[in-house]
Amino acid sequence: MLAAAQRGDGEAYRRFLQAATPFARALARRRSWSPDMAEDIVQDALLTLHRVRHTYQPGRPVKPWLAAIVARRAIDAMRKRGRIDRGEVNAPFAYETFADPQANQADTQDAARTVAGMMMGLTPGQREALELVKLREMTLSEASSVSGQSVALLKVNIHRAIKKLRLGVARGKEE
Amino acid sequence: MSGARTDALIAALAADARPIAPLAPPLHRALTILGAIVVVSLVAIAWRGDVGGLLARYAGREHMMALESIAMLATGVLAVVGAFFLSIPGTSRRWMLAPVVPFVAWVTLSGAGCYDHFLRNSASGWGLGHSIDCLLFILAVSLVLAIPLIWRLSRASPIDPLPVAILGGLGTASLAALLLQFFHPFAVTFLDLGVHLFAIILVVAAMAAFRRGALVR
Repeated sequence: MLAAAQRGDGEAYRRFLQAATPFARALARRRSWSPDMAEDIVQDALLTLHRVRHTYQPGRPVKPWLAAIVARRAIDAMRKRGRIDRGEVNAPFAYETFADPQANQADTQDAARTVAGMMMGLTPGQREALELVKLREMTLSEASSVSGQSVALLKVNIHRAIKKLRLGVARGKEE
Repeated sequence: MSGARTDALIAALAADARPIAPLAPPLHRALTILGAIVVVSLVAIAWRGDVGGLLARYAGREHMMALESIAMLATGVLAVVGAFFLSIPGTSRRWMLAPVVPFVAWVTLSGAGCYDHFLRNSASGWGLGHSIDCLLFILAVSLVLAIPLIWRLSRASPIDPLPVAILGGLGTASLAALLLQFFHPFAVTFLDLGVHLFAIILVVAAMAAFRRGALVR
C-alpha cells in the first residue's frame, strides 16, 4: 500500500495510514503517560511519515520503518514535556494578587478577554500559523502539511501576527 | 488532540498524496558520493600532491603508511556509509559503531609513528610542526566534502539527525585527514596528531551543531 502511495495513489495511502494508525497508537501508548499525549505522538508520527515517505524502500518490511518514526516522535514528545515541566512551577498562589479568589477571577477573565480580542484581530491565516507553530510547537513543514500554507507564507503570517499582538499589548499599556 | 483529529489528519495527508521517487538504497547513495570524492581527490593529488614526499617520509616503513592510510580510509568510508544508513528510519543504531575500530587503529598507528619520530628526533618530536596549516587544511577540505555530503544526506530528511551528523562529520574529516597525507611533506609529531584530532572534533561538533538546519528538510 505504501509503495502504491509513493506512486501517488491517494486511496492506497489513506488505507495505509488507517491501517498503520492502530500500530502507531499501541507503540505511542507504551511510551507515554496519557492517552492525549499518545494521540499527539501518533499525529506527529503521521506528519513525519508523510514528510519522509520517500525513504521507504518498496519490498522492505514496513513495521521497523514505522516503529522507528513513532519511537523518535515519542522521544521528542517526552523531551518537550520535560522542558515544559522544568520551566513550570506548581505554585497556584503565585498567580493570585488578592486574597479574595473572586477578585483574581475578574482579572483573569479580563486578561483572557484581552488576549482573545487581540487574537480576533488577526487574520484566520495568521491565527492558524501562530497556533500551529508557536502554541503546538509544530515544525514549519508539519504546520505547512496541516494548514496547506506554504512555509514562506507561514513565516510571514507568524511575523505579522506577533507584530500585531505586540502592538496590541503596547496600546493596552498606554490605555 | 483527539482520534477525530487523527482521522482528519489522515484525510488531509491522503489528499496530499502525489507521486514521489523513493530514495535509492543507502549503500548505493553512499558509494556514489564516495566515488565522486575519490575522483576529485585523485585529480587534486595529481595536480598539487606530494606523493614523492610521502614515500620519502615513510621510507623503510611503507607497511605503516599503508596500514595508516587504510585505517583512515576505512574510518571515512564506514562513517559516510553509516551516515547514509542511519538517515533511513528503522536502520540499526549499530551503524554508529562501524567506524570505531578503524578509527582506533588509525590513532594507534599514528601514535606509534609519532613515537618512532620522537625516538629518532628527541625534543623536536614534541614540536609543533605545521599544525596550524594542517588544522586549516582539514577544516577547509572537510567543508568542501561536507557540502555535497550534506546535500545528499538531507534528501532523506533524517528523523534523528544527530548520529547522521556525527558520522557525516567524522567521515568528511577522516577523508580530509587522509588527503592531508599527500600534501604534508613532514613527519607528524604528537602535537600535530593532537591538532589533527582536534580538527576532527571541530568538524564533528560543527556538523552536530548545524544538524537540523543542514539535514532536515
